[in-house]
Amino acid sequence: MIPPIRVQQLSKTFQDEGRGEVHAVRDVSFECAAGEIFGLLGANGAGKTTTLRILSTILKPTSGSASVMGHDVQAAPGEVRCRLGFSSATTALYPRLTARETIDFFARINGFPADKVKARVEHLIERFGIGDYANARVEKLSQGMKQKVALARTVAHDPPVLIFDEPTVGLDVLNAVEMQKVIAEFRAEGKAIIFSTHIMSEAEKLCDRIAIMHGGRIHACDTLAGLRAATGEHYLENIFIKSVTAASTPQ
Amino acid sequence: MSGTTQSPGERLKWADVWVLYQRELRCALRERAIVINSILIPVLLYPFLLWATLTGITYVTGQSEGFVCRVAVPRWPEGHPKLRLKLEHDSRFTIVELADLAAVTNQLRAGTLDGILEFNPATGAAAALPGNFVARITSDGLRERSSEALERLRDMVDQYRQEFVRREGRRRGISAAEWQVFTLQRENTATQKEMGAFILGLVAPVIFVVMVAMGCFYPAVDCTAGERERGTWETLMSSGPSRLSVVAAKYLYVTSVGGLAGMLNLVTIALTMKPVFGPLLARTGKTLETGIPLAALPVALVAAVLLAGFIGAGMMLFAVFARTFKEGQAMITPFYMVTLVPVMFLQVPGLTLTHGLALIPIVNVTLMVREALSGTYHWPQMGVAVLASLAFMVVVIRMATGLLAVEDLIAGSHNGSLLNYFRGKFQRQPSPKSQP
Repeated sequence: MIPPIRVQQLSKTFQDEGRGEVHAVRDVSFECAAGEIFGLLGANGAGKTTTLRILSTILKPTSGSASVMGHDVQAAPGEVRCRLGFSSATTALYPRLTARETIDFFARINGFPADKVKARVEHLIERFGIGDYANARVEKLSQGMKQKVALARTVAHDPPVLIFDEPTVGLDVLNAVEMQKVIAEFRAEGKAIIFSTHIMSEAEKLCDRIAIMHGGRIHACDTLAGLRAATGEHYLENIFIKSVTAASTPQ
Repeated sequence: MSGTTQSPGERLKWADVWVLYQRELRCALRERAIVINSILIPVLLYPFLLWATLTGITYVTGQSEGFVCRVAVPRWPEGHPKLRLKLEHDSRFTIVELADLAAVTNQLRAGTLDGILEFNPATGAAAALPGNFVARITSDGLRERSSEALERLRDMVDQYRQEFVRREGRRRGISAAEWQVFTLQRENTATQKEMGAFILGLVAPVIFVVMVAMGCFYPAVDCTAGERERGTWETLMSSGPSRLSVVAAKYLYVTSVGGLAGMLNLVTIALTMKPVFGPLLARTGKTLETGIPLAALPVALVAAVLLAGFIGAGMMLFAVFARTFKEGQAMITPFYMVTLVPVMFLQVPGLTLTHGLALIPIVNVTLMVREALSGTYHWPQMGVAVLASLAFMVVVIRMATGLLAVEDLIAGSHNGSLLNYFRGKFQRQPSPKSQP
């Protein structure tokens, strides 16, 4: 059976005026099962965002393949996008739509059955406690309120696959914890989740498996217990540093 | 060159286009800058400008009508005492008695005098006749008062001459019909309604182009660069609809706002022409009937859509490279200026829609409107104009869709303009920055 997310030998190369050819992602492979949170852990520039942008069909891979729910990101990008919810610190909301209109809009454009959209919107408003400000424009909402609306819009079409790219960047502790709680709930609902972060504690707390990325490559990929056993380190921070250092040391 | 993210499997879905279009329009109507710049200004700016111009003209005219001209007459003509009486009793003049002509000229230049009326003896054959003289009026063309004095003195002297000739003719037994030989009568075969349509046809298309372009301007920047600046671009690009559907919805949005601005403006022009031009013409004893002929409305509507379609597509083509609203404005402005160039041709009154002109974008549809407002319809040329405009639109839309498939633009990482992009492409060089 094909897992909800499958990435095989994925590579992405860019041309940069100053640096020439830049290998942002090199030969990356992983899978993510339903009901699993797969963590991509890496410093800035490690290749996490590029990988996730390929998965969300914003970018095309130079080589390798990736699929979401069995649909190849290059052959059927529309099918892929309708089956995933993508959220990142840089994905914003339309400021002049209300919270209700936002959820409604994203449910419709992502192919949720038109006759069920209204009920879905009301369900999400209730689930995320948006009711009090459902008819207020997004631009008037606080950061915490916006975060809830953003989560609701990400799952508006009830996608089986969710991608979170550093979703807690810029959030205060309370909102970050709330975000982690909701993501854990999504896992319990059986969704396949990719969670990209550079915050070790988040990855430790949330992820079922963690891939440590550096320089565009995955240097280690296992459960937290497996990583501990492989490196002999307890804390993820130390595990990360050990993996990255080993990768940087010339053979 | 960077890769493209367009897939052959990604097709246009009208259901998605409709949802996206509704979203664009809803957000735009809640955006003050767009409502003001794309709808209110096109509707209100034209009547306001004309009102301001009219008020200015009326004020200046009233000023020049109300004052008394200070005129110096160094010497009066022999044998014409009535001329002196006429001038002295005319309340529009004050006679300044100055003998020194050099001093009078200096006063005229200094602005303390408005005109000099000199009566010099006739020379040559004319000198043989008794009472003949040469009247010479000196004025300062740089001053309104002095120009007005020139007009008044000329009218006054001419009127005296007419009276004098009539009186002399009568005294010698010659009737006016005999010494006049022939009279000149003027007649305009155009009705007041036709004249109104003619003036409307001269004024409206020019402002029509300007307002359609203005109507397209902000929506084009808002739905491309604005979306990037707000951070909603990536949200949209990772959502279900195909790139083609996204482009189509944005394009429809820009076109409909631009077309609406043009149509509203045309209606406003028609409605305000009479109250604005009426008082001006009333001063000349003429009247004006204005209004858009009903038959011209469908033509104007088609023209508005075509014009907005062409201008909107062009603007989106430029704006798609911008990453901020400010950048978008800067990138679109040259194109906006270019769209105004053909408007200059429209100032030629005798210009008609020929097959050749029907191939020139912007000029073709605006000439269509101008002729329709005057009740003229060159159907074959209009057909060519519509087809040519559609062809241009298709080319530009395809280019815009193609550009939106370039992943640098999707990711918002391209640093440069449309020209920069094509330069890089044709020189086979990588774009300046191609990394997300």
